[in-house]
Amino acid sequence: MSKIEINHLSLDYFEKNNRFTALKDVTFSVEAGEFVSVIGSSGCGKSTLLSILEGIKFPSEGSILIDGEPIKGTGNDRGVVFQSYSLFPWMTARKNVEFGVKQAKPELPKAERLRIADEFLEKVGLAAFKANYPSQLSGGMQQRVAIARALAMDTDILLMDEPFGAIDAKNRTILQELLLDLWEGDGTKERKTVVFVTHDIDEAILLSDRIVMLSASPGHVYKDISVPFARPRNRAELVQTAEYGMFRNELLSLFYGDIADKIGGSEVVL
Amino acid sequence: MSFRKRYVRLTNLLFLVLVAAQFLPDRTAKPAECANVIWFAVGLEIFVIIASTLIKKEQGLSLVLDIVGFVYALLLLWTLASAKFMWLKESLFPPPGRVFAQFFIDFTQIMTNIRSSISIIVQGYLLAAVIAVPLGLFLGWNARVGNAATYISKFLSAIPPIVYIPYGIALLPTFRSVSVMVIFLATFWPVLAGTMSGVLNVEQKIIDSAKVLNVNPITMLFSVILPASLPQIFIGCNQGLTVSFVLLTSAEMIGARDGLGYYVKNYSDFGDYTRTILGIIIIGIVVVAISFLFNKLQHYLLRWKK
Repeated sequence: MSKIEINHLSLDYFEKNNRFTALKDVTFSVEAGEFVSVIGSSGCGKSTLLSILEGIKFPSEGSILIDGEPIKGTGNDRGVVFQSYSLFPWMTARKNVEFGVKQAKPELPKAERLRIADEFLEKVGLAAFKANYPSQLSGGMQQRVAIARALAMDTDILLMDEPFGAIDAKNRTILQELLLDLWEGDGTKERKTVVFVTHDIDEAILLSDRIVMLSASPGHVYKDISVPFARPRNRAELVQTAEYGMFRNELLSLFYGDIADKIGGSEVVL
Repeated sequence: MSFRKRYVRLTNLLFLVLVAAQFLPDRTAKPAECANVIWFAVGLEIFVIIASTLIKKEQGLSLVLDIVGFVYALLLLWTLASAKFMWLKESLFPPPGRVFAQFFIDFTQIMTNIRSSISIIVQGYLLAAVIAVPLGLFLGWNARVGNAATYISKFLSAIPPIVYIPYGIALLPTFRSVSVMVIFLATFWPVLAGTMSGVLNVEQKIIDSAKVLNVNPITMLFSVILPASLPQIFIGCNQGLTVSFVLLTSAEMIGARDGLGYYVKNYSDFGDYTRTILGIIIIGIVVVAISFLFNKLQHYLLRWKK
């Protein structure tokens, strides 16, 4: 049994009597401890898919099973990081993380929750900023806090919706490596199951075990590809290998080939 | 800041002129009690010197000094126009020294009136806020009821609450309870409207973020929606507070037996304009003091905003 099973998922919605199909018959599964990226151009329904996994949107048809149980809404078995606005602006960084821990594990005493919050803020390099409000932190720092919160909640599953999409290139690289380090860990603990939505192919290759490529109108699974690189990964070494270049080109041609098919012309030059 | 910038300012010059002016011969029929103005000015000047020494930023110091300078200038004109040259009629415009003297004579009476006015405000205001905020949260969160409620509260908040006074007098046993009711009504609608619009304007991202943390409905309402709406709730609270003072003093002038509005109205009926002016000044000070404390509270609770 897979950790997450997505079965024949479809989502239609209506706007002024017109029916739009955001997702059509999406089926794939994610194994426990696997890092899966969902990539696709904008409008392919990748964020919608993640919203259904989060439990804030509901499918028109099909179902999602976690550990064999169908999901019926949000649940504290899943930690979520959005692209922005994950944090509550009236809570300090520390309080934001502690609040997340409290929701996931209400049985813990407050002192223990604060200790966990401090531990994870330290891990994302923000120990000195724990008393700051989100408005006093840069976008990259806010995402670090959001990641610290999701990890501190210690859920089996981590759902990330373009978490670095609004961060500048340099900081994005740093955050990707931070996430990679935290997720790979030192091998003593079981890795979390991650579903990571992005439109950045390099990000997907660096982080994932598998890449699920969605195609638009209506959103469906176009390709499901395993990433053939050993872990732990190191970006600087990885990007220099010939295998990386070949794999990346293959993905790019799949990705853009799909777009060329959609607009229906061989004259599309990329 | 240089010594000159700190201590040699127009305000200090005005202080000297004001004190000197008090030594001009009085032309009033009764004693003008100019010594009181000197004591008051000396007290204020001591404050100015302490402020000049302690305040670090030039801008902040200038603000304090300008305000005090304005008070000195006003007292100077008042002294000259009343006690010294009698440009104004003595019975209608008592000299400032006499008003200061009256403050000490009536001290207990004034304190009782302040207490009475503030306790009515606090009762009406807190009662309104304690009911309106949770109700607004609930109505705003249940958008369908909330839409209708928005129009209803707009209609009801458009009625000037002072028109309820005559009816309130018929309904309620004491004038005090009528005052509380009027303040309650004056505060209730703006706070309710502010809370509802705050809830309706909470960003969907914030709500989603709370949902994926799997919060229960109570936590959602009080730990997420309430703080997220707080800026707009405060807009309603501010509006309610401003109207409350206007209404309370008006109500007290209509039929109360104590309170600051009654103090002013009562003594002006007797032609005692020294006390009338004193009452007006005290009302100003009380309103400013309460607004100041309220702003501090607002600033503290919204310290997370940019």
